[in-house]
Amino acid sequence: MLGRVLVQLVVVVMLLVFVSTALFVGRSRLRTTRSAWRRRLRAAAPITIVLVAVLLLNSVARQIVPDLSWIIDWNLTDPIHDLEGEFIIWLQAQATPSVTAYFSFMYIYGYVFLLVFPTIAYFALSETRPLRELLTAYTLNYTIGLVLYVFVIAYGPRNVMPELVDALLYDTYPQYQHLTRQVNRNTNVFPSLHTSLAVTVSMLAYRTREPYPIWNVVAAILGVSVAISTMYLGIHWAIDVVAGVVLAYVSVELASILVGRWSVSAWMGSRTLSLRTLWRR
Amino acid sequence: MGDERISAGRTPDGDSAVTGSTDGISRRAALASAVGLTASTSGCVRQLRSIVNRDDIQQLSLTITTRSADGDRESIRLAREIAATLETVGIDVSIEMRSNEEFLRAVLINHDFDLYVGQHPGGIDPDFLYETLHSLYADESGWQNPFGFTNLLIDDRLEAQRVADGDERREAVVAMLEAIAIEQPFVPICTPTEYRLVRDDRYDGWSRGHLATRTGYLDLEPQTDNSADRLRVVHMDPRPSENLNPLNAEYREQGTFIDLLYDSLAVEVVAADGDHALEPWLAEGWEWTDESTLRLALRSDCAFHDGEPVTADDVAFTYRFLEDTVLGADAFPAPTPRYRGRVAAVDDIDVRDETTLEITVGTGQAVGEQALTVPILPEHRWSSRATAATVPGVRIAQGTTEAVVTDNIPPIGSGPFQYDSHSDRDYVLFERFDDHFTRRGSVDLPEPTVEELRIGIDPRSTSAIQLLEDDSADVTSSPLESYVIEDIEETDAVRPLESPSWTFYHLGFNARSAPFGNPRFRQVIAQLIDKAWLVDEVFHGHATPIATPVTDEWTPDDLAWDGADPKMPFLGSNGEVDVDTARTAFEEAGFRYDADGKLRVRQ
Repeated sequence: MLGRVLVQLVVVVMLLVFVSTALFVGRSRLRTTRSAWRRRLRAAAPITIVLVAVLLLNSVARQIVPDLSWIIDWNLTDPIHDLEGEFIIWLQAQATPSVTAYFSFMYIYGYVFLLVFPTIAYFALSETRPLRELLTAYTLNYTIGLVLYVFVIAYGPRNVMPELVDALLYDTYPQYQHLTRQVNRNTNVFPSLHTSLAVTVSMLAYRTREPYPIWNVVAAILGVSVAISTMYLGIHWAIDVVAGVVLAYVSVELASILVGRWSVSAWMGSRTLSLRTLWRR
Repeated sequence: MGDERISAGRTPDGDSAVTGSTDGISRRAALASAVGLTASTSGCVRQLRSIVNRDDIQQLSLTITTRSADGDRESIRLAREIAATLETVGIDVSIEMRSNEEFLRAVLINHDFDLYVGQHPGGIDPDFLYETLHSLYADESGWQNPFGFTNLLIDDRLEAQRVADGDERREAVVAMLEAIAIEQPFVPICTPTEYRLVRDDRYDGWSRGHLATRTGYLDLEPQTDNSADRLRVVHMDPRPSENLNPLNAEYREQGTFIDLLYDSLAVEVVAADGDHALEPWLAEGWEWTDESTLRLALRSDCAFHDGEPVTADDVAFTYRFLEDTVLGADAFPAPTPRYRGRVAAVDDIDVRDETTLEITVGTGQAVGEQALTVPILPEHRWSSRATAATVPGVRIAQGTTEAVVTDNIPPIGSGPFQYDSHSDRDYVLFERFDDHFTRRGSVDLPEPTVEELRIGIDPRSTSAIQLLEDDSADVTSSPLESYVIEDIEETDAVRPLESPSWTFYHLGFNARSAPFGNPRFRQVIAQLIDKAWLVDEVFHGHATPIATPVTDEWTPDDLAWDGADPKMPFLGSNGEVDVDTARTAFEEAGFRYDADGKLRVRQ
């Protein structure tokens, strides 16, 4: 069951990435990438390694985070619900089958595409800074998000009001339960990482609107759709989404401060240099 | 205040005013005025104190602890409906949601709750109420008296049904249930009707054993060539994939899969339609040699999954260990959080030889035989777990033994299936224990017919149903959530199976704190719950409202549901409480309302 859903996901996202690359990146950029890919890869390698390490750590940590959270026992579900009232119920009252299909598609496929495509688009730019900022912002999102998950226990609307808030995704398309169960634990809803990562991409797309003007618009639409989908599907509270947007902003700002601060190649260069001088002596 | 001060200078505590009488007049006058001032102040402060130091009573504010919808959809819905009702009668309510094991840890182990809504595993025999309510257990952790309920009359009635047999016991049970219905230590709400989905094309015999018990998974008849290889079970609760400890209260509900791994001396064999009989299991049989002594013979040549023989010593060890999981090594005993009432029935065990033993019970024979249904543990695996659990740098609650907290993987029992492998929150795989006695030709008991039994975890009814429809699973072992039952489409291969339950949903009070220790308060709360309406609304009709928490077989006529609760009728209609009537009921019970309609209670 999981295998089939995964294959479907990979095929759809690859298709979307293929079409978007043709549309937004264009032939000339791909041609220059073919000659410059080594240099760009080298520039992006350090942050890529950090991101992969954080993702691996994340997948391990996700197993133990719920237990840690229950030891701290800081349960915010009731305060969040009290604070924002019935917004999610109102939002779900607008549900129609086609809207549900749209937002389910956005939550699963739109989201993954939104995260994957900019890595390719920015790799195709001769300036590597957007790519490094993107990967740094992803890393920050996951790290800060995980810390918040440790401290905050919160259940999403579908867990609190199952009769009012339909778990639209899981009841309309039960197969996705198998997919999201692998990555999501039901007490980790504050903040919405779906929102923060999607909005991160939208914000960076705005910064790169010069090389990719249409992508800026597409990313904005996708980002907003993903954020709404998390609430529409009863997975997140509006407050989680707001927190997700804040997290995205913080990550993007931090990324632009951090990127370019340290250069691994320069550091390596000085090391090898001093080794060489040692050798000569 | 001014008048008071003048008189206070002279009259109260006059003795202080006559000191220093021989001194000069001016001195005396000065002194007198000083004393007068002191005396007057003291009188004033005393009255001030009488006024100020009366603790004000506040609006009653309480928390209902329950599970999230992923853990138990019906519980959170009941909790929210009850919370809304209590709000309308002037109580401030908040809801605290917890995961399955954290909910049970808060309620059963730490008693950290005001009110809770949940499902009780219940019992086929009403004796489960003894451990649930006896005041002796108010301080222990586990399913024994989580309410902290203490009442000498109820204690008496609980004990009376335990020592009686036959018709006398029936009468004693009625007396016990009547008293409980008046006290309302918890409010029984309803008994759910269990629906599971089964596939008929690969196995036959689903209606033989109740799927909440071990026999549901035994004696299945494979219908195709390869269906005997693996029985594919979908379970909606991930806990069996994380912990397989029969003594752990937080990770167990009814313990169905534990019963496939561990044998007991006798087994309550329950058919899918609810018919049941206590059958000899690991014991070949038993006889009562006198009123309170049971002589048992174990089946010969039985072994645990690691090859060690099952002996009478293991049996004696099990009962001793469950009674005190530190085995007397600590200042006070640390009894098991499950099976408490059953173990307490046993007074003494006398091991005669390798396979025979005599059990002396302190109860009647009916309850004494119930004691035979606890899992038999291998002494060589569990005696080392009688030590206190340790975590470096953390002070552990006394009585927390390794035995009650271990995840017990791999579990070594002597049951029809043995553990093979597992992955947390994903699956647990059992394989048939080929040497199990039920597979002997001479034994006519339900036996394991499949090579492997895989319990796959799938947390939602909708996706579990899809697994069955796609022929990726044979049976849902957890009952389906009630909201999906109407939508199930019966096909040639897949059909829903309805069976009765002895579990029940209830509202529990923590009687350790005011005002929940007050039976009058509990009675009014009980009357604010429209059980019949909740059954329709929350369970979509797939449950039966109840006034008493036992099975139909034991329900006395005047506690039977007759369209309304015979003892605690709802104060309103169609789920809507009549607020004025409810307020009057609280006021008649000695509670007060303020001008804003808030219920004020000393907490």
